[in-house]
Amino acid sequence: MDFSMTEEQELLIESLKELVAREAPESEVKKWYEVGAVSDQFMRAFLDAGFGFLGIPEEYGGTPADLTTLLMVAEELTRGTAATIPALSNILNMFDMVEFGTKEQIRLSMDLYEKTGKASFSLAISEPQAGSDNSGMTTTAVRKNGKVYLNGGKTFVTHGGVAPYCLLVAKDETPDRDNKNMSMWLFASDTPGVKFAPLHKIGQGTTSFAELYLDNVELDESCLVGTQGKGFLQLMKNFEIERLLLCMQTLGLAEAAMDDAASYAGQRMQFGRPIGEFQMIQQLLTDMEIKIKNMRNMVYEAAWLYDNGLSIRLESALCKRYCGRASTEVCSDAMQIMGGIGYTTEGRISRAWQDARGWEFAGGTEQIMVHIAGRQILKKYAK
Amino acid sequence: MKIITCFKVVPDEQDIELKDNGELSFERAKLTISNYDLNSIEAGAQLAEKGSHELIGVSVGGAKINESKLKKNALSRGLTSLFMLADEKLSNLDTHQTAKLLKIMVEKIADWDLVLCGEGSSDLYAQQVGVQLGELLGATVINSVSKITEENGKIIVERTLENETEVIEVELPAVLSVTSFINLPRIPGMKNILSAGKKPSTVWSLTDIGGTCPSETVEVIETKAPRQMDRKKDITEDDSAESIQVFIEKIAAELR
Repeated sequence: MDFSMTEEQELLIESLKELVAREAPESEVKKWYEVGAVSDQFMRAFLDAGFGFLGIPEEYGGTPADLTTLLMVAEELTRGTAATIPALSNILNMFDMVEFGTKEQIRLSMDLYEKTGKASFSLAISEPQAGSDNSGMTTTAVRKNGKVYLNGGKTFVTHGGVAPYCLLVAKDETPDRDNKNMSMWLFASDTPGVKFAPLHKIGQGTTSFAELYLDNVELDESCLVGTQGKGFLQLMKNFEIERLLLCMQTLGLAEAAMDDAASYAGQRMQFGRPIGEFQMIQQLLTDMEIKIKNMRNMVYEAAWLYDNGLSIRLESALCKRYCGRASTEVCSDAMQIMGGIGYTTEGRISRAWQDARGWEFAGGTEQIMVHIAGRQILKKYAK
Repeated sequence: MKIITCFKVVPDEQDIELKDNGELSFERAKLTISNYDLNSIEAGAQLAEKGSHELIGVSVGGAKINESKLKKNALSRGLTSLFMLADEKLSNLDTHQTAKLLKIMVEKIADWDLVLCGEGSSDLYAQQVGVQLGELLGATVINSVSKITEENGKIIVERTLENETEVIEVELPAVLSVTSFINLPRIPGMKNILSAGKKPSTVWSLTDIGGTCPSETVEVIETKAPRQMDRKKDITEDDSAESIQVFIEKIAAELR
């Protein structure tokens, strides 16, 4: 079993560390959370250094990279900044577009992305009554007189109102529960009838969230992305990769919290010695380290399976089930070690804790992961 | 134009450990490119990219510098190709030995126009190799170069001095040592890193250059870190002229 990185991966991570040191010092990251967005300068630098094109096909200016390498970048970027940086989910969105979009849609998305490094389009999937239960979706795309009309509403729209375009999944023609036909649509955020209303979160303050209202939004047929009626299946194709990517961010947050707390425990003097010498602190650190190791091992093993062409349906669900909660626990224990300082917004741990909590449900709740994993486990052990 | 940029391979500073007796331990230190030489590589890369020139990296040192990752690291920064002289006998070279060996390498590469060096190395920082190499090669030698431009086939450099900036048109062939603020070295991306492995690199031993190691001109007797001292906790409370004078005298006494 080889756990070592390739020379190329080592060099890439060294480059990333250099980028983070130059462009994302803590004073800068704090500002991002205050204004609610990662700076244009960082997104540009991330793109210029080539990280923003990892995994995107070469014909669109990308650089080949396997999932393991992409996840290493996600881990290091999050660990180095103790922040949730949407740069990697932007890459993932481009994967969807490159796979299912028309030539014009791909070019449009890539051109916008290349200009800024920011998301070309927001993602409108969830609805107030339809999260993991996508049958409950009621937003419709109805054809009339050669045009398509969108009606309904979405919530938790990532980059909603900020990205210039919106990628939306709607039911074809009728909102009935038993209508399984859904399609993907790409349209400009300022199309008449489109209205975004920002949602305010307690964490992950670098990524905007919005509600979206669609009032008879008229689109051309050319706005369809991929195959008519297969929109949700298209979306699901990258769900498993997305889960691992999110898990890597939870891992990075936990590692950042560990970096700060363990270093603090070695320096903070109480009763004439560093608090790290007390066994109760050591127990916290030990359990945190175990969780971090578990997260790393689970996610990289899943990435290895994927890169070797094997299924990760079970593994990606197990990772998502475990990592969000484990990360919150590690950040919470780190805060316990740091005490009052950890609870202030001066340090990084309070931020990592708030961000980690969101990953317990964003991208699929821990509970729905049991539903996915449970069925796979029964299949795996069936005699 | 053929540009050669020299770089030194040094132990990574963050891995160097201090022993109890004050000696430095390099046992766990990974090898890396000297920080100041990243500036000379970048200066070469910018010139080469603007003028479609060839940019060759050159390094000399112990056998350990012939390391695959290190070579990819250098080649990912804009070099066209790389030449190394790596031999166990060349592990602890002084500046004159380094300059003499670099001269042999540069002459063996041949047809060169411009050699770039960093202002010093991040381990010894003697600031000698560039000027000695230029002298040995019989070329124009300029140090403290803070800007290089190419205009109509001519090289114009700037030297930022305390009260003035010198602008000099340089006669080629030349050896220039660049400052650490001449540029911000690029961050190699995945594309650069992947292509680095495909670029040509040549590693010579002493036998390949038909030579022996030049004799030492400097004898290093001892290298030790400064002795760590406890704080004196001598606090000057106010900012009156008298107190400041006392403070200055105390500092001066410590420095004597």
